[in-house]
Amino acid sequence: MAEPLRQRLTQAVLVGLFVVPLAVIALQAVADSWRAPSLLPQQLGWRGFEVAFGTGGAASAIVNSLAVALLTTAICLLVGWPAARALGGRLLPRNGLIALLIALPLLMPTYLAGFGLTEWFIRLGIDGTLAGLVLAHVVLALPYAILILLSGFNRTVDELEEMASTTGAGPLRRLLWVTLPSMRPALGAAALLSFLVSWSQYGSSLAVGAGRSTLPIVMLPFVRSDPQVGAAFAVLFVVPALIALTFAARSQRSPL
Amino acid sequence: MAPALALLAVFYAGALVGALRVSFLPLGGNIGDASPAAWQALFSDPAFVDALVFTLRITAVSTVLAAVGGVLLALALRGRGTGIRVIGALPVPVPHLIVATSAVLWLAPGGLADRLLGALPLDLIRDSGGIGVIAVYVYKEAPFIALLILATMQSLRDREEAAMVFGAGGLQRAAWVLWPAIRTPLVLGSVIVAAFAIGAFEVPLTVGPNYPPTLATYAFESTQGDVIAGEGRAAAALLVSGVLATALAAVAVRLARSVEGG
Repeated sequence: MAEPLRQRLTQAVLVGLFVVPLAVIALQAVADSWRAPSLLPQQLGWRGFEVAFGTGGAASAIVNSLAVALLTTAICLLVGWPAARALGGRLLPRNGLIALLIALPLLMPTYLAGFGLTEWFIRLGIDGTLAGLVLAHVVLALPYAILILLSGFNRTVDELEEMASTTGAGPLRRLLWVTLPSMRPALGAAALLSFLVSWSQYGSSLAVGAGRSTLPIVMLPFVRSDPQVGAAFAVLFVVPALIALTFAARSQRSPL
Repeated sequence: MAPALALLAVFYAGALVGALRVSFLPLGGNIGDASPAAWQALFSDPAFVDALVFTLRITAVSTVLAAVGGVLLALALRGRGTGIRVIGALPVPVPHLIVATSAVLWLAPGGLADRLLGALPLDLIRDSGGIGVIAVYVYKEAPFIALLILATMQSLRDREEAAMVFGAGGLQRAAWVLWPAIRTPLVLGSVIVAAFAIGAFEVPLTVGPNYPPTLATYAFESTQGDVIAGEGRAAAALLVSGVLATALAAVAVRLARSVEGG
């Protein structure tokens, strides 16, 4: 097969496989009537979004989900940064063991994490609160943040910092002008993943949330019972994820 | 360093201890009331055995298919432009629930695939074999594995050219250059996919059968029935899934190492 033709074929297959099925969700969200065997909706309308924002409680769920995901991201970056720095600098004698400890929560089923934590959160009086949700999400997202930041702290960053300090830059200037800019791609990727882990979290939120709604929690029943409303929720659910992705992709263009 | 490790250690251990405690002791009970009743009830419940088998089957099939699909996708995307690689990675940031929504729309009886093809030969959504669940996992995780592999493939071009100069054919290049390079990310990615599938929760709730449940949905259903005894049984079932995921990861990492070592 000629090369350009093959390339176009791959492209067509990928678009058919990954773009079309997901894009059709947007059409379903505004299809008030779409009965078989028709391939196109018979009637368009806003019923899906009306129900989502009405009985579905989408508005408060979006606010909760956004607050939890943004707080989770901030905490993961703040707490993960010094951890990755220490691990990357090989300041520690037993790096392998520590890396294993960090990776262990990645293997924990999310519903188990939430279920086990609830036992404590009830005693602390934080089950069903924003703080409880954030804490549970941080445990599940922090390992990703640390592992990605770790990949950013490499020899180049060390050398750049050394150069900066030999030219007389103090710790604050070094951080602002050298370390942060050269870590921008890793920071962007770590922030994106922390946000997405929290944003899509179902199992732990269901256990810890005690009725406080997040977007996935209020969306799930509709996927089974009323697909149009489920699709409307899916649209609301995917937009912030795509915005986060765009931000992260921008940060990949390293200025150095 | 210290705050991150302390946070992870305290909450990881806390979650495990919390679940263990619930499995031996009803919520609010005294330590003197501890009993293995929940574990006994769990292991004598035929529904738990079904859930265990179902979970392991879904995990095995999804992981193998995602790994194979991921390698094929990585080979197709290799050396292509940014645009096409972004399309190939599209499902990675999309939450599982959205993929499940799409699966219902396309694969359910009377869904779009049915309408396009006339009729699907078998039930794909809420089927007792869990095909819908597997389809969602493969769709979402094959691109994830492809991304991991592509990251290491970038540096291979020179080595492959060198192998070609020495007269290595396509199969030889695949065995001696490609395979050793992609093995580690492939194993790591598969471990993460398997761990995720073992804890499967929202996907089987949306596109899975009513019966058998997965371990996580079995646990959830237990808490919905008998509140006190159900909590203990749920905790025990979830601990089984946690142990399985960790044991599987340990075996996989050890296997990958021994292959590498000789």
